[in-house]
Amino acid sequence: MEFETNVGPYIKSDNSTQKMMIRLLISLSIIVCFVVFKNIIMGYYYSTESFVSLLNPIYMILTGVVVSYLSEYLYNAIILKTGFKRAFTNTNKSYPTITGLLLSLLLPVNTPIWIVALGAFVANVFGKMIFGGFGKNIFNPALIGYMFVALLFSSKLGGYLNAYELDAVGGVTPLANLVNNGYISSYNVLVGSYGSLFNFFVGTIPGSMGTVSKLLILIAYIYLTITKTIKWRISVAYILTAFLLTLAIGINYNLGIWYPLFNILSGGLLFGAVFNSTDPVTSPITSNGQIFYGIALGVMTILLRFLTPYTDGVVISILFMNVFVFFFDKIGIKLHDNIKKKYIPILISVIILVLSYFLIINNIKEDRKTTFDILNKINSEILTYKI
Amino acid sequence: MTIGLTLENKKRMSISNEIVDFSDPSKVYIPLINNNVLCKSLVKKGKKVKKGTIIGIRQDIDFPILSSVSGIVLDEDSCLYLNNKMVPCIVIKNDKKDSVVKKEIKKDISDYTKDEYIEVLKDCAVTGMGGSDFPAFIKYKGDLDILIVNAVECEPYLTSDLMLTKLKAEIILDTIEAIMKINNISKCFIAYKEDNKTIYYSLLRLIKNYDNIFITPVKNIYPIGWERYLVSNILKLEYNKYPNEIGVVVNNISTIFAIYKALKFKRSITKRIITISGEGFSNPINVLVKVGTKMDYVLNKLGDYTYNDNLNIIAGGPMMGVALKDDSVVATNNLNGLIVLPKEDDTIVDCIKCGKCIKVCPSNILPVFIMNTLDNKSKLKKFNPELCCECGLCSYVCPSKINVREYVKHAIKEVK
Repeated sequence: MEFETNVGPYIKSDNSTQKMMIRLLISLSIIVCFVVFKNIIMGYYYSTESFVSLLNPIYMILTGVVVSYLSEYLYNAIILKTGFKRAFTNTNKSYPTITGLLLSLLLPVNTPIWIVALGAFVANVFGKMIFGGFGKNIFNPALIGYMFVALLFSSKLGGYLNAYELDAVGGVTPLANLVNNGYISSYNVLVGSYGSLFNFFVGTIPGSMGTVSKLLILIAYIYLTITKTIKWRISVAYILTAFLLTLAIGINYNLGIWYPLFNILSGGLLFGAVFNSTDPVTSPITSNGQIFYGIALGVMTILLRFLTPYTDGVVISILFMNVFVFFFDKIGIKLHDNIKKKYIPILISVIILVLSYFLIINNIKEDRKTTFDILNKINSEILTYKI
Repeated sequence: MTIGLTLENKKRMSISNEIVDFSDPSKVYIPLINNNVLCKSLVKKGKKVKKGTIIGIRQDIDFPILSSVSGIVLDEDSCLYLNNKMVPCIVIKNDKKDSVVKKEIKKDISDYTKDEYIEVLKDCAVTGMGGSDFPAFIKYKGDLDILIVNAVECEPYLTSDLMLTKLKAEIILDTIEAIMKINNISKCFIAYKEDNKTIYYSLLRLIKNYDNIFITPVKNIYPIGWERYLVSNILKLEYNKYPNEIGVVVNNISTIFAIYKALKFKRSITKRIITISGEGFSNPINVLVKVGTKMDYVLNKLGDYTYNDNLNIIAGGPMMGVALKDDSVVATNNLNGLIVLPKEDDTIVDCIKCGKCIKVCPSNILPVFIMNTLDNKSKLKKFNPELCCECGLCSYVCPSKINVREYVKHAIKEVK
């Protein structure tokens, strides 16, 4: 009896890209549940708004997912001219829904739907399809979409507060509050205005829709690590570096352990570290490369937070480091051949960490000096006015 | 360090208490090939041969190919070899008289000097029966100190080594003792997979009679049966090209049995146990066949294919074996199984750069980078694709179902 042959091995693992993406969807759906709970159910309970008017988060998520899918489908069908049937199978193979979901979760609660739609379109077309589609993109597509709308429509993004959140600090997020206070302040000012660190951990503070609940992000992280879906080393290196740097800054100003924890738990750091920086396509392949990639992300994020007007820094850091993934892989390959040379990148990382520390400390000093000067000036003006 | 993966072993399917005997074919087809080197025919049509008559020779190392039956040479033809290629072969009509080439036989199998031993291994055409078909006498050159008997059989489905150990444990241990005495080897480790209790128990009841032979469990991971990996796992030693550089010899447990035949009767192995298994076959079992039997006859007698046309019939294990274009493959020394599996139609998607192929690679190379730099020869050399042991784990583990091993194989050709 004759057979058609194909190449082996003839047994394959039951893992597949599709299963990995489904696991990612499962972990993201936990966060979607939280978004619904916090903004809609609790919103209905605590505020006087009608139920229908609270549904914006759901519209946002649906828009993100549907527009992502459609834009990729149409790109396939019209620009790549694959025909409508092929376009359908091609689109299903490249998982645009995850991009849309990630994008909508990064945006504030009150973002208008057309901005989400625009972001999702840009994310999939200019973040992914232009490069040749799934697996070939250099930048994380969701972050490209986010960056686009955040830069061009920052004023239209919509507030961070949901229906019942109290306007404790002028409608700003904890990190904006940190900047407004010259980076260094007391627990009561930085954390106390929003409740306690527990609120930060659970997610009952104002912020981007999906990024606030650190607890659920951690659960998702553990799930994704156990199921070997994401490159867990990047997240650990990223968060640990950010923690160490802010810990050192905190110690310098006699602030407690709450200060680094506040820095880790605010903004999109955890979300970015778990979901965006570990995107398999746009991160280093080698495990050593992943570690140093994570360290670089941590340093850059904290530098952006403390040295520039950007309050969060996560999105820009990841997009910036995406360009250098090849470099981190080069390090990884070098170390793969000769693990004894590990001390070189470690030494460089330590030097960079120390340098950034001094840079930040120096900047904060100047910053504080100028605020102090302004305060003095105002004081003296008030005094003179009184007189 | 444990690199590799635990695979579902599926061995239970074909383990039974009986071995079906098919060792009396009317014709045998003896392929003129040894360790992928074609050999020269030495017989003409119509010549009478006996069991053990030299019918072909591998010219570079003067290694014989022996007849497995007595009878008349019918023709020179070609037959399907286990690498899925047609290979010239000699067709012999079996007269079923089993007359043997007469040779001087020693009473005691350990009554050989080392030179005689190597000579006997060569004359009796003892080759690696785990799949390599590598002439065993080469492995014994030089000073040796440690013998590792490979009873790992780390491919899923295969149970032929296991069945042989179960049936011939005492002979195998005696032979090992003789080999140790002849070659002045101080220690022997019989490596088996820790979950393979059948081998453990069949050796355990006898092992106390033998000093310096140890039954050594190895972790249940694939590809721990790979020679290099086995040596580094048991002895924590590395070597450059062949293990005899560091005084180690590794033999498959079936090869030990072939050595027994050589030492005891000065005969080559003429029969071997072959596992017929897999989800695509109705009656998974071990069979005893004559070397040179066309397997389609055996398969037809045993059972049916269960998924009619959409099948792979694999010579060897499912990881490293080759799918055959025809089931009329010829049974040879190094064919340890025929596995019939339904074809899986995996859709291949783009590489997502997850790096799983790097993590599982037992050769410690970087499959995904090799795959991505195929067009750049000078860069490719830096990734050392020639270290690949072709275990197939990279293809196995790939979530995008890319046949990574094929790219690496291609790279090896590029580099050469």
